[in-house]
Amino acid sequence: MSDSPKSSNKLWKSIKGYNDDPEVLNAKTNEFMEGVTDEFDSSKLSGISRRKFLAILSASAALTATACTDYRDKGEIIPYNKRPEDVMPGIANYYASTCNGCSQSCGILVKTREGRPIKIDGNPDHPINAGKICAKGQASILNLYDPERLTDPFELRKKTVWKSVDADVISALNDAQSSGKEISIVTGLITSPTTKKVLNDFVAKYPNTKIYSYSLTNDQQRRNAWMDSYGTDEYPAIKWKDADVILAIDADFLGNEGSSIENMREHTKRRETNGKTNFNRLYVAEGRMSVTGMLSDYRLRVSPDSQYEFVMALINELNNRGSAIALDANSKLKFEKYSLSKFESLVGKDKLNHLVNDLNANRGKSIVYAGDTLPKEVHVAVNLLNEVLGNTSLYDYSNSFKSLVKYSSAAEISQLVDSMKNGKVGVVIHFDSNPVFTLPEDFGYASALKKVKLVASLTEAENESSAAGNYSLPINDQLESWGDAYVRGGVYSLQQPVISPIFNTRQKEAVLLTWIAGGSSAFNEDIYHNYLMNSFNADVYSKANSFADAKTFWYSALNDGVVKVTEKVQPVKFNFASFNGLNDLTPSKDFVIHLHDNYFIGDGKYANNGWLQEIPHPVSKITWDNYAAVSPSTAKSLKVDSNDLLQVKVGNRSLTLPAFIQPGLADNFISIELGYGRTVIGEVGKEVGFNSISLMSKDAQPSPYIFSNASVTKAGGSHELVSTQEQHSLDDTFVKDFHRIRRIIQEGTVLKYIKEPNFLHEEKEKLFSITNEVQYTGNKWAMAIDLNKCTNCQVCVASCNVENNIAVVGKEQVSKGRVMQWIRLDRYYSGTPDEPIASNQPMLCQQCDNAPCENVCPVNATNHSPDGLNQMVYNRCVGTRYCSNNCPYKVRRFNFFNYRDSFADSYYENNLTSLVNNPEVTVRSRGVMEKCTFCIQRIMEARSNAIRDNKPLKGSDIVTACQQACPTNAITFGDANDPTSPVAKLRDHNLSYHVLEELNVKPNVTYIAKLRNTHSEEIL
Amino acid sequence: MKRTVLDYALKIRLPLTLFVVAASFIITFYVARPERDGVGYAPEQPIKFSHKLHAGQMAIDCQYCHIGVTKERHAIIPSVNICMNCHSVARKDKPEIIKLTQYYESGKPIPWKRIHKVPEYAYFNHSVHVNKGIDCATCHGDVREMDVVSEVKPFTMTACLDCHRNPQAQLPYLKVVKNGPENCWACHR
Repeated sequence: MSDSPKSSNKLWKSIKGYNDDPEVLNAKTNEFMEGVTDEFDSSKLSGISRRKFLAILSASAALTATACTDYRDKGEIIPYNKRPEDVMPGIANYYASTCNGCSQSCGILVKTREGRPIKIDGNPDHPINAGKICAKGQASILNLYDPERLTDPFELRKKTVWKSVDADVISALNDAQSSGKEISIVTGLITSPTTKKVLNDFVAKYPNTKIYSYSLTNDQQRRNAWMDSYGTDEYPAIKWKDADVILAIDADFLGNEGSSIENMREHTKRRETNGKTNFNRLYVAEGRMSVTGMLSDYRLRVSPDSQYEFVMALINELNNRGSAIALDANSKLKFEKYSLSKFESLVGKDKLNHLVNDLNANRGKSIVYAGDTLPKEVHVAVNLLNEVLGNTSLYDYSNSFKSLVKYSSAAEISQLVDSMKNGKVGVVIHFDSNPVFTLPEDFGYASALKKVKLVASLTEAENESSAAGNYSLPINDQLESWGDAYVRGGVYSLQQPVISPIFNTRQKEAVLLTWIAGGSSAFNEDIYHNYLMNSFNADVYSKANSFADAKTFWYSALNDGVVKVTEKVQPVKFNFASFNGLNDLTPSKDFVIHLHDNYFIGDGKYANNGWLQEIPHPVSKITWDNYAAVSPSTAKSLKVDSNDLLQVKVGNRSLTLPAFIQPGLADNFISIELGYGRTVIGEVGKEVGFNSISLMSKDAQPSPYIFSNASVTKAGGSHELVSTQEQHSLDDTFVKDFHRIRRIIQEGTVLKYIKEPNFLHEEKEKLFSITNEVQYTGNKWAMAIDLNKCTNCQVCVASCNVENNIAVVGKEQVSKGRVMQWIRLDRYYSGTPDEPIASNQPMLCQQCDNAPCENVCPVNATNHSPDGLNQMVYNRCVGTRYCSNNCPYKVRRFNFFNYRDSFADSYYENNLTSLVNNPEVTVRSRGVMEKCTFCIQRIMEARSNAIRDNKPLKGSDIVTACQQACPTNAITFGDANDPTSPVAKLRDHNLSYHVLEELNVKPNVTYIAKLRNTHSEEIL
Repeated sequence: MKRTVLDYALKIRLPLTLFVVAASFIITFYVARPERDGVGYAPEQPIKFSHKLHAGQMAIDCQYCHIGVTKERHAIIPSVNICMNCHSVARKDKPEIIKLTQYYESGKPIPWKRIHKVPEYAYFNHSVHVNKGIDCATCHGDVREMDVVSEVKPFTMTACLDCHRNPQAQLPYLKVVKNGPENCWACHR
């Protein structure tokens, strides 16, 4: 304070105050400013008094209200002029199409009402995803109605017209071609054979064109390994349902890797508890805590850098017990130096013995599966391990993973950047890709882009890449597009538009076709539609050997959304050179960083989708963020707690992000999700999470996602992570294993179940009621959830959000426990923090017969229906929240705000986004309680159909949104009073139980206890 | 204190005031009720379509135009092409038909004024009622006699529940009729 000129002021409001200006000192001593207390001259005031003013105001308002409005007016009904034959206002139409969300290109069925898409579900006729899609696919419908979609073409952020864009680009393309400069098309993965043809045509027209394909998370390492081992990069699908023992090595095949929907379905076919138990046994060796790890019977904590040694040691051990393939001497030399004894201390001797014995005993019926992020070396070793075990019989070559356009190597992309820097590139076209965000920074792509004269970005919404270029060209959403996909052997999937383009957008292929044709006049709405039809006729129709003519075949293919053709399978043979030539990988001495795909927002593509940002992470339950997951003991040694910022350093790249203590993680290991931290994006996704791509490098070896010898330090400061797990919690955190003691989670093992099938109900207490029980004579709706099948994928949550118009509340409101989702997935841990056993449980309104919420409502806004539903009436609700307080399951949700208005400055309250709402469900406003309705709108629709057809209403007529979406069919819905219905049978299942049964609230959601397939009769 | 003044105020003035207030409230309530419920609302339509002529004299079935009524929630106001099934030939020279043809040829829909409406939070379903044999006239009045359609019965929750609770009295023409559902989610969701 010594340098203070006049006084020892510590705080100052203005420079004048700091300098002790007399004016300020004077003002400080006087309570009122000069003149404030003077008498005023009433004659100078307005003649109208305050009272009179108010009187005039109200009188004029009343007059306007009565005179100028026709209060009886009920608006207009505008029917069609010429009604399309198959469109009836009020009846939904369904169209088969294909999802563009990720590389799997699942078949989808889009529900439209009055011409607007309102729900996406899986296409039941599709052989791969068989009627189910992931949470991303479910919620992607919001992207169509995203308020920040590009509405028109923009040139340097100024609105322009397609005609001038076409002219500018075509002249730039011709310039580049004549001056010998490169034209670069940067695209994501191409799954459409017709898009590939368009690109080929483009190259034919402008021969200087080069195509670059890049995707943030991909299966490149697996493909490379397959190329080396078997001479083709088209790797087979796995027959999961035939595998008795599965070892997943850092592979989240039940979470977000590969064809996860198919994997989940096939895997859970071996988790049936009806009659025989035919359980498979799932071992997971991983460093992070993935969904697959949570579902495993045995989880082995092996950090990804040690996986190479682990697999080698397994080969050594199992080869000693025999091999299905003749090994050459060189191969033996390669693996003989590795021994499992090193891992005994790390993962436990018992577990390891079980694993080796099980793999040995189930040769030919087991599978070892490595994850996409692991280096090629591990994949090659795993390929050999499966050969040694004779597991190749579980490879399904008939629907192998096809490769249309290969990913560009890092060297090719570096070369592109060099050419750009040296001015050798005339035009860059971002073909629905965002390389400025997804490419590792050290490529220098963003800065090199500045040297290119014309950068045209074909994109749905402004992104990092379009912001760095001069043309942002709006393209159709997937629901406005034509297309096809050929991802799996023999499966051709078709995409058709279900709504005409809402804005002045164009199909991305049509843009290229216009440029190929050389003039804006070549464009018409059907340019790509016709191109696709011709291409389909030439490629697929000729293969299909159909008796129908080409046109009929096309329409029937469009109707089904998919065509299956038989393809010849080439036999393959393992090439030992691939194994013998492997570089041996050594484990890290310092921290290991594992970057991997997130579950819901893709490569940042879905970051502006509020529904997806708000779905809790399947493991940590964190919303609206990514984080550095650390194990409890590593957190202790780093002296950090959850939310504390960590600095992660790999080489000269670093990232500061919050830590999250994740039980079950490997020590000295950090796992971070990719895809967060978008900067140029709409209001929802802006600055959500931390951009972990900044840790990636162009020359990261051996895997671009795993970094050894990283340094991690506490950075100081914190960032609040918001998790939904500690909210709506049934358990008491102070009591360990409370969920087991209160029997919220009841589990058993397969051995126990075989020995005593009724073990769950042995000590059942008799419950008595103090009131008369209501008898339900007609239908009585009930649900059963099989916890053996639930994989915690959160698709039910996404489906429910879309079906029931559930609002997005934002991170701040989630932190206050105000998330609005009607169904949540509870996750409980038992065991130790290092080796936790995770249990999952979908929790939704239990529609209790003796519902405690009903007794306390002062206005009878929640009451019981004759078909056993706990009704919630929004118009009666006055918002006391007594019901929520009295609900033992904590499944009621209160609208503290009108969330469409309060979230992100009314982001989702506009004419466009409200089109996503299901017209059969009320949009709730502020001050009312809401909760799961068992999809009453679907029950009522089934009822009206039953009355129309003069049939009794059956439970099988109704499929709730969560049930329809569940990839493993874990959810069953139906009539409990119909003894033949599946739900009634499940209610009497040996393993069935109700949560908090002792309260005698008589819930109508039955859970089937999870069985763990371990070698013991006890769980813990 | 003048006792007489207080007596007068309490005995005569107060009851009289209360009576006038109550009477005017009750009279206004009942007199204005149909109007509040929308009964008698008969707005002018863009085309002077006569139900009396079409449904009454020519006895065209309601479902010829209102095709949704047995299938789904909405009865559906017919699209212009249904009118043109006949009127591309019939009465082409009449002024209202010329107007209709103009709508059809310009591809514009006709902005019909809405007469019957249940609130947005009520999910009424036509097909459930019609498929149970309930006559259109029970709710919509005898449209066959209306040149200009107006609302005849109130569309209030009371009106719905009157029938749901006592259908035998309200729908004497139905031999077998069960009570309609009275639970909240039957209509509100």
